[in-house]
Amino acid sequence: MWRDEADGFAEIFKGYLPYYLLVALPIFIIMSPVNPVAASHEFSVYRMQQYDLHSVPHGCRSSSFNLEGRSLTSWSTARHCVVARLQDITIEQFMEIRSKSPALLLVLPKNNTELTVEQKEHIQLLEMAMIQQEMLAPVYFAKWSPEFEDILDDLQHSFITDDKSGTALEAMFNTVSSNGYQIVVTAPAPQKLDSKPVTLHGKLVGRSEARTIVIAAHYDAAGLVPELAQGADSNASGAVAVLELARIFSRLYSSVAVRGAPSLLFVLTSVGHSLNYFATKKWLEEQLDVTDASLLQDVSFVLCLDSISSENLNLHVSKPPKAGGAAHSLRARLNVPVVHKKINLADELLAWHHERFSIRRMTAFTLSSLQSHKEPARNTILDTPSEESLKHLVNNIKVTARALASHIYNLTDEVNDEDATLYDDALDVDEAAVRHWYEYLSSQPRAPHLITTTSQNSGVTGALEKALSRYVDVTMSTHTVDKREPEYVLYSPLRNLLYVYSVKPAVFDLILTLAIVAYLSLVYFAIQMFPKFYEEYAKFVTGKAKVY
Amino acid sequence: MTLYHFGNCLALVYAPYHMAYKFSGISEYATFSKCVYAGGLYIFTQLCKMLLLATFFPDSDSQINGEYDVFLEILKATVDFADLLGLYFALNSVPGKGHAKILTSAIGWASAEVVVSRSVLLWVGAPGSEFDWRYVRSCAEANVALVQHAGSAALVWLWSRSDLPRAHAPLVLWLLALTPYRPLLEEAVAAVLSLSAWSLLAVRALHASAVALTALAMYAILSQQIAL
Repeated sequence: MWRDEADGFAEIFKGYLPYYLLVALPIFIIMSPVNPVAASHEFSVYRMQQYDLHSVPHGCRSSSFNLEGRSLTSWSTARHCVVARLQDITIEQFMEIRSKSPALLLVLPKNNTELTVEQKEHIQLLEMAMIQQEMLAPVYFAKWSPEFEDILDDLQHSFITDDKSGTALEAMFNTVSSNGYQIVVTAPAPQKLDSKPVTLHGKLVGRSEARTIVIAAHYDAAGLVPELAQGADSNASGAVAVLELARIFSRLYSSVAVRGAPSLLFVLTSVGHSLNYFATKKWLEEQLDVTDASLLQDVSFVLCLDSISSENLNLHVSKPPKAGGAAHSLRARLNVPVVHKKINLADELLAWHHERFSIRRMTAFTLSSLQSHKEPARNTILDTPSEESLKHLVNNIKVTARALASHIYNLTDEVNDEDATLYDDALDVDEAAVRHWYEYLSSQPRAPHLITTTSQNSGVTGALEKALSRYVDVTMSTHTVDKREPEYVLYSPLRNLLYVYSVKPAVFDLILTLAIVAYLSLVYFAIQMFPKFYEEYAKFVTGKAKVY
Repeated sequence: MTLYHFGNCLALVYAPYHMAYKFSGISEYATFSKCVYAGGLYIFTQLCKMLLLATFFPDSDSQINGEYDVFLEILKATVDFADLLGLYFALNSVPGKGHAKILTSAIGWASAEVVVSRSVLLWVGAPGSEFDWRYVRSCAEANVALVQHAGSAALVWLWSRSDLPRAHAPLVLWLLALTPYRPLLEEAVAAVLSLSAWSLLAVRALHASAVALTALAMYAILSQQIAL
């Protein structure tokens, strides 16, 4: 009997099965869909920034990967992709990841406002650590979503690792029950972006051409992830302030009677501290090193605005203001503490915007709410707009406008009430406009990767140019990076699609095969036993012995 | 690995059909062409059903509210009576004994269903790097479908016999009348008990074997009667 069954089994393979399959299977395999992208999850992810500054590489150097997802605790080699929440990863863990270079996928917090102060500080420190050196492995950031939460949970609780399970049976059970994830990003290799930073400037001509006051701010945002760098405080606030001051003083300067003596020059530059104020440097070279330089011939002082949307303004200077000078006069009227820091040309980055002007022998200072240029708040993706910041910003613009006006018109503090109301009236800050521009700028990702590579007449640059040209005649100067020895190089891609495939370990398929073979044998024996079963069944149903 | 998984699924689908054909004794009747004929009838029946559905029923995809219209679903299931008609023609075209007729048309019918409705999903999905249990499940479902079609074919055959015992006629008629609504019933049970996909498959398998066993019992009685 066993022999017969064995023959029956052989029959399957002896029959027509192998011959037509020999033809059919290769055809099927050739016809098979080449790229079966049927991933259960597809996400938009944002790459960590990549740039060279003075030929020193920074940031993440690669873009594509196809690796197995692991949690912070279970990864071991560079062939894994570590998936973690941004607030969970410690600096030490990050250092280890950098040295062993697995791919890294960080999920942003669900809601920035729910973070504690410690968590925020931690994330800012982490960002600083991440940008200090280059990373060889790809690093991506993803916005929070419930699907990601599930994947993170799955990764944290799965034990696919071969050495962690106790018995063989347990290991087998785990392979069947647990989910693995294959994480795939297909992206072009990092490529240099054609970066053309611009500087916008517009002048309000005063009564005498003699002195010029420059009010400058950069409007880009620095952050670890270009697509997520909103930079509300640094430096949407400064750019909004320049716009608002231009509006206020263009009203005053429009009538000859109240026109101030000095000219006012408003400058907005598209590259800030993250790239060493490159646009300002180039702009100064263009304005000063030509023969008919007239714009910056006699500068009274340069006031740079940087991160002014919190309380307590500071005046950062590289040289203590001399008594009797214009700077001293303004400082006295602003009534803010002076922070003195010498320019250190050996540093990789200049500390403050005004240092670019100070190097060119102009009296310059930066007004900022930050205490120090090293504060991580200048370079964080957590720099998002808030109602409170807006309130402080409006207040700070008011204070600055007053101080400037009082300096320009050389007014003293002893004014009577009638003058004060006139004063308030003339220098009134348009809160709606400030809010509009603050919200607009901080809703746009404004990393240099984005704003210096898009067309100059569109996007943020175009919008700012249109806004500023309502008050002054705007000149837009475009700067180019040196071809041979570029001061900086920016790299794409900035955003990509990430696919997450749920997969099973290879052993799982073997186990599945065993199960299927067992099932098929069962079916085989069931079919073999069927005549016998039918006989019994018929007897049972009819109550008689089977005849045929 | 993934092609291997596809191989697994293929084995799960193909082997039971092959074994059913080889070892049930119908291959001795050299009825492979009849199986193909039954498969062709299946495809033709499906085309006719599609024409009917497309002509007389509103497109369920275009309904925005997404409500489950029970009455409409029942009406749609009624169209599946065409399947029974198709099976009847398939049975008539096969010469030989009753069990050969039933098995040949059932295997042909079910194979055509696998090729037309499941193979594409399997072909596109299973070799991908994404793992999903539904491919394995779909293959197992194909096995259940074979049993179910065999049961339906047996019922149709019983109904077509003029020498069917009078006592059985109402039961056969009832079971036949219910046949088109079985998937609906199974889904309703699954929805009420909120079963998982695997439990639904188990329910289907139980249901199909119950119907098949009932049909087998009546077949046994009838063949006993003929033999006498």
